[in-house]
Amino acid sequence: MTKPKRRKNNAGVRVNGNGPSVTREPDSWKKQKLAEIHQALNSDPVDIETLRRAAASKGGLLIDELRRKVWPKLLNVNVYDLPHKPGRDVRENHKDYNQVLLDVRRSMKRFPKGMPATERAVLQEQLIDIILEVLKHSPQLHYYQGYHDVAVTLLLLVGERRAIAMLHTLSNHHLRDFMDPTMDSTKHILNYLMPIIEQVDTELHDFMIRAEVGTIFALSWLITWYGHVLSEFRHTLRLYDFFLASHPLMPIYLAAAIVLHREKEVKRTECDMAMVHHLLSRIPQDLPYELLIGRSQALFDQYPPSLLAKRAALQSHKSLSISTFQSFQLSTLHQRPDSVLQRLTKARGSSASRHDHRHPGLEAALSRDRGLLLGQGNRMVKMAVWGLSATLGAAVFAVAQTAMDWGPEMLFQLF
Amino acid sequence: MAEVESSVEFSSSLTSSTLPPPRTRIFKIIVIGDSGVGKTCLTYRFCAGKFPEKTEATIGVDFRERLVEIDGEKIKIQLWDTAGQERFRKSMVQHYYRNVHAVVFVYDVTSAASFRSLPAWIEECKQHALGTEVPRILVGNKCDLQDSIQVGTDVAQQFADAHSMPLFETSAKNPTNQGDGSYGRGNSDHVEAIFMTVAHKLKSQKPLVLSQPPGGPGGPGGTVTLGRARDDGGDGARSWGCSSC
Ligand SMILES: Nc1nc2c(ncn2[C@@H]2O[C@H](COP(=O)(O)OP(=O)(O)O)[C@@H](O)[C@H]2O)c(=O)[nH]1
Ligand SMILES: [Mg+2]
Repeated sequence: MTKPKRRKNNAGVRVNGNGPSVTREPDSWKKQKLAEIHQALNSDPVDIETLRRAAASKGGLLIDELRRKVWPKLLNVNVYDLPHKPGRDVRENHKDYNQVLLDVRRSMKRFPKGMPATERAVLQEQLIDIILEVLKHSPQLHYYQGYHDVAVTLLLLVGERRAIAMLHTLSNHHLRDFMDPTMDSTKHILNYLMPIIEQVDTELHDFMIRAEVGTIFALSWLITWYGHVLSEFRHTLRLYDFFLASHPLMPIYLAAAIVLHREKEVKRTECDMAMVHHLLSRIPQDLPYELLIGRSQALFDQYPPSLLAKRAALQSHKSLSISTFQSFQLSTLHQRPDSVLQRLTKARGSSASRHDHRHPGLEAALSRDRGLLLGQGNRMVKMAVWGLSATLGAAVFAVAQTAMDWGPEMLFQLF
Repeated sequence: MAEVESSVEFSSSLTSSTLPPPRTRIFKIIVIGDSGVGKTCLTYRFCAGKFPEKTEATIGVDFRERLVEIDGEKIKIQLWDTAGQERFRKSMVQHYYRNVHAVVFVYDVTSAASFRSLPAWIEECKQHALGTEVPRILVGNKCDLQDSIQVGTDVAQQFADAHSMPLFETSAKNPTNQGDGSYGRGNSDHVEAIFMTVAHKLKSQKPLVLSQPPGGPGGPGGTVTLGRARDDGGDGARSWGCSSC
């Protein structure tokens, strides 16, 4: 069993999801969970049910090293058959280019605090590229402000090429409704919020209706999977574990769980739109996430969308995220473990089918054994930098160095 | 370093516990305009007194407020900061146009595109039945970027006149040290003075019905006292009529 590696973190990039653990019971459940996850990953086909359960249950996927392996499985992404890095042309003539540029350039807060500006700048450029790449590939998808908060979470955890593949799948499924030309479908999904609250606490529901607070306070929660409002990246990762393993409406159930959790505060507030909107939209940073995740799961089981949808307001609308969810889940059932996928990729060898990359030598080297890569990390990085323009090179080099601290998967994705 | 915590962040002052006196009137002002023109920075500047080093895309609506004193009366100015991306306007923001007392249209003086969008924003405002009686102003932001100005004062003034709105040019970033210190055309107006001018205008109107009941929560910390902010009809250009909206 591989032991989670502790890495020095000079850039302050501590993206893992382990909270400060209370070590009375010396985390034996964690060890057991790690073992289960590894086993599920190595089963052939991959034991996706176990992975989903692990991602949703206490602690989620626990460590980033596992997230990098499990997230692609939850989305049916083969990490040995990834899309290319976007070329320069990805930025040409895209209708959303300016908006993406604007939103990414000012999204400094999503990057780890200690990260040097040059590194952040390189990642921001990558972020722009991956967003445009996915949008370009699927013309039916429309950019929305907040999409970049989802993309950055993926980019920071798994790196550029995996992020493209994962974002592509997410956009066509879980996020699909938000990406219509209008926000009508998104509004429809927000309409599930009050009925859930009503089922549990009529008084709170009525109070909110009287205040005419609406549901926009939960808009950014929903469409960014809370990435826009949480300041601790580890909390965001924990929620992404949960949502990646869940029904597309789960973020709304969590929103309901959060509002219900704050019931007393809400009822104490003046019954006025502005006051209630203000209170609710400002998410407390110390929420008991594990508890709330458990509650939203319970709410979902007790009041499933189908039951809520019987209510008048929710009937008419057709949600692509919901209607394609079942077939999406089915599609995740037949994945091979990474060891097999890697072998298959190697077997296809230098015929370079899909991997007709701008740096073919590097590509081949990168698909070699990871242990080897780690050992030769710095040489690999230099090789890669040689292939790049002189101006970008230095900054990319800095990022690559950080990536070595993050883990080999990150480096895999850089080039 | 000031920063806007998140799009749903609120001027920190609201969390202070001092209760406002009974019947504090609330002026609700909505701030609209293209994405990136500086709506979040302007509202933050007014409510928190500084330029935020980091803003983020505003998703949905966000609001900030500040308690001010005008002619001896304490008034709560509530600024509703909206998302600029078009898709949010249609189905999302409309809920928040209700009971608005004034509208602030913002464009970026370094972006001709943001100026060209103004008719669409005015139309939007019209669709939400914010009409004749609601004071509206036009604000050109980012005046500190003198070298990249794309929208001249003359053009903007013509537009403002045509729509019977007063025009202000300002900078959320650097609101004080431009021009010669006066606030005439071509120089920049102080963000503070702009919003206070709107507040004065609203106060001078017949009494507003909306008021906060006694004992309402929250009391912004920063109270500002401003006598007459400035004469807002002096040169005839700064008219308040709203006949076209
Ligand atoms: N130079 C300058 N930049 C500004 C000014 N106001 C805002 N900005 C910048 O413009 C960008 C967008 O500002 P923001 O307030 O988020 O725009 P919004 O989308 O309209 O809310 C940010 O990078 C701000 O730092 C200003 O007065 N001068
Ligand atoms: Mg904004």
